[in-house]
Amino acid sequence: MPSHLIRLTAAVGVVAASLLTSGAWAQDKTPIKLGLAITQTGPYSPPALFELHGYELAVDQINKAGGLLGRQIEIVKYDDQGNPSTAVQLYQKLLTDDKVDLLLSPYQADLVAAVAPIVNRAQKVMPSLAANVEIYNGKYPYLMQSITQTGRYMEPVIDLAASKGYKTIALLVQNTQFPKQLGEGVVALAKQKGMEVVFNESYPPTTTDFSALVLKAGEKKPDVIIGATYLADAQGIVRAAKAQNVQAKMFAFSIGPVEPEFYRGLGSAAEQMFGTTLYFKSLKTKGNPEFVAAYKAKYDVDPDYHAAVAYASMKIFGEVVSKVGSLDQKKIRDEFVKTDEPTVVGEYKLNQNGLQLGYTSYALQWLKGQQELVYPKDQATADYVLPHSAWQ
Amino acid sequence: MTTFVTLIILGLLWGGVYLLAAEGLNLIYGVMKVVNLAHGDFIVFGGLLAFSLYGFIGINPLLSFPVTAIVLLAIGAAVQFGILERIGLDRGDAELRTLLATFGLSYVVANTSFLLWGSQFQSIPFLQGFVRAGPIAIPQALLVCSVLAFAVAILVHVWLNYTMLGKSVRAVAQSGLGAASCGLDIVRIRVLAFAIGSAMAGSAGALLISLIPFQTSSGGELTVQAFTLIALGGLGNYAGAFLAAELLGLVEVMVQYYLGTNAASAVIYIVFIGVLIFRPYGLLGRAVRV
Repeated sequence: MPSHLIRLTAAVGVVAASLLTSGAWAQDKTPIKLGLAITQTGPYSPPALFELHGYELAVDQINKAGGLLGRQIEIVKYDDQGNPSTAVQLYQKLLTDDKVDLLLSPYQADLVAAVAPIVNRAQKVMPSLAANVEIYNGKYPYLMQSITQTGRYMEPVIDLAASKGYKTIALLVQNTQFPKQLGEGVVALAKQKGMEVVFNESYPPTTTDFSALVLKAGEKKPDVIIGATYLADAQGIVRAAKAQNVQAKMFAFSIGPVEPEFYRGLGSAAEQMFGTTLYFKSLKTKGNPEFVAAYKAKYDVDPDYHAAVAYASMKIFGEVVSKVGSLDQKKIRDEFVKTDEPTVVGEYKLNQNGLQLGYTSYALQWLKGQQELVYPKDQATADYVLPHSAWQ
Repeated sequence: MTTFVTLIILGLLWGGVYLLAAEGLNLIYGVMKVVNLAHGDFIVFGGLLAFSLYGFIGINPLLSFPVTAIVLLAIGAAVQFGILERIGLDRGDAELRTLLATFGLSYVVANTSFLLWGSQFQSIPFLQGFVRAGPIAIPQALLVCSVLAFAVAILVHVWLNYTMLGKSVRAVAQSGLGAASCGLDIVRIRVLAFAIGSAMAGSAGALLISLIPFQTSSGGELTVQAFTLIALGGLGNYAGAFLAAELLGLVEVMVQYYLGTNAASAVIYIVFIGVLIFRPYGLLGRAVRV
């Protein structure tokens, strides 16, 4: 989606939101101020805008249904431009100048980690969209992980591989925070399932030439090649595997295949590649068809996983606040960690530190140019194809 | 043994890819002494243009690279004539001025790309298979990029050294005043050289994007890589750049395989520093440039 369209829809959203809130004032009740800063401009903005739209759709629905605690919600939002220090200043401003009642999370692990100390010091509950687990180890008890833990992203892929009797894994890991934690998760999951990681090597994020790395991984003759990757490196690994005729029974990548650009850039080489996603629009989860329809009606695109986790986190936030019956942050925190609720993403369940236990992920496969959800079986839109056909 | 031969072939071919990305800069910086910090962004712009041509009209990079070359030729000419010629190229601090101007330009080009194509990585599925040579699989796209890179290197070398126009470009670079007093139209020649260098970046982009996914912020990395390569080879020296590219490609692939990918970039820069210590003007550079 072109960025001017995103901006246009964002502008429409703002106008719609302000119309709604002006309606609220007419009822002579002050609105609840809900604050956030998120990346609305710059290269990191597209996924963040999906999240913003997810939040806004949830707030719209809550407001239309009579608001929260009988009051309308007013969103106070800023643009952090993807910069952690800007994000810190903006959350400072939200807390001290705007004196918001409730807080939502920025997008991207770095930004969440940057604002975590001040949010926690202000004792404001923040449902957080950061998948890495360090910030939920009890250090910041007011952060509620509202996205799948990084280490569990590849869970369905490992389950599927194990169920097919595959024994060996070659693991290629981008040398940055998120993929590293994801790779550690793969090693742990493989061990649980009795599989062996026969190759495990990392590479810097700037790598463009994967030829020697893939050649070396292939020499171990692994059943499964797994990449803890983002988009460009996932494509680089697939390209190298195909161009050097490196075979495996299964190829799977963390982030990469979930993006439509993965297939657009690789064409037929992307066929039968596995990926994972935290959400898929066909999911048979509670309220999902309604969410997809409402999102599409409002923004004219299908929701992606960013939109879905943001939407679910705001919905859960609303439910928790309603249950507590006040804006008392301590009580909201205590209620939050007791949550065990179905959402569009899956079951939302936390431990006492706010670590997400309920959310898992889903395995995708590119089949005949379509992204299909293939595992777990009960959510599948198509049958998986295994083993991978030999490269032509 | 098969592995070793495969690695050598892959290293030589990747060397060609790096050469392709550096050739335009070698003309503009190495020969003309104009520091074009927007070089990488030109490559990305050319690549994304080829991506759109592939997506909308369905023409592949081998057909679209002349188109992207022409577009970048025009942009390069406009930049030299409209900006760089206006900021005092004849003064003593010309290198600093062009450095600052092209630094700004790199942001303009990168953000224009961002507005047109967004921030996601894009690439083109083209020539993804392999050519079989006995037990060795040689990647098609690498082969094509390398062959074209070498062809361009030879052409430019011949142009600069054996044609009137090429010699004029070198004359202007050596001494604008001297060239002008011999009757050369130095503005015209500088515009031409910058435009050709930009066109080379544009065509490189079209080919590279089928090998390396580009996003609009990829330009900076490409510029640094290209600078390293031409400094290693000896500024403006096309045979030197060829040698440097092959050296870098081989070192990268070998180190990746035997020491691990994380070590590869470190070793490349260690080689770079070593060459600069023992041959400060690059592998084939001469103390007096051009």
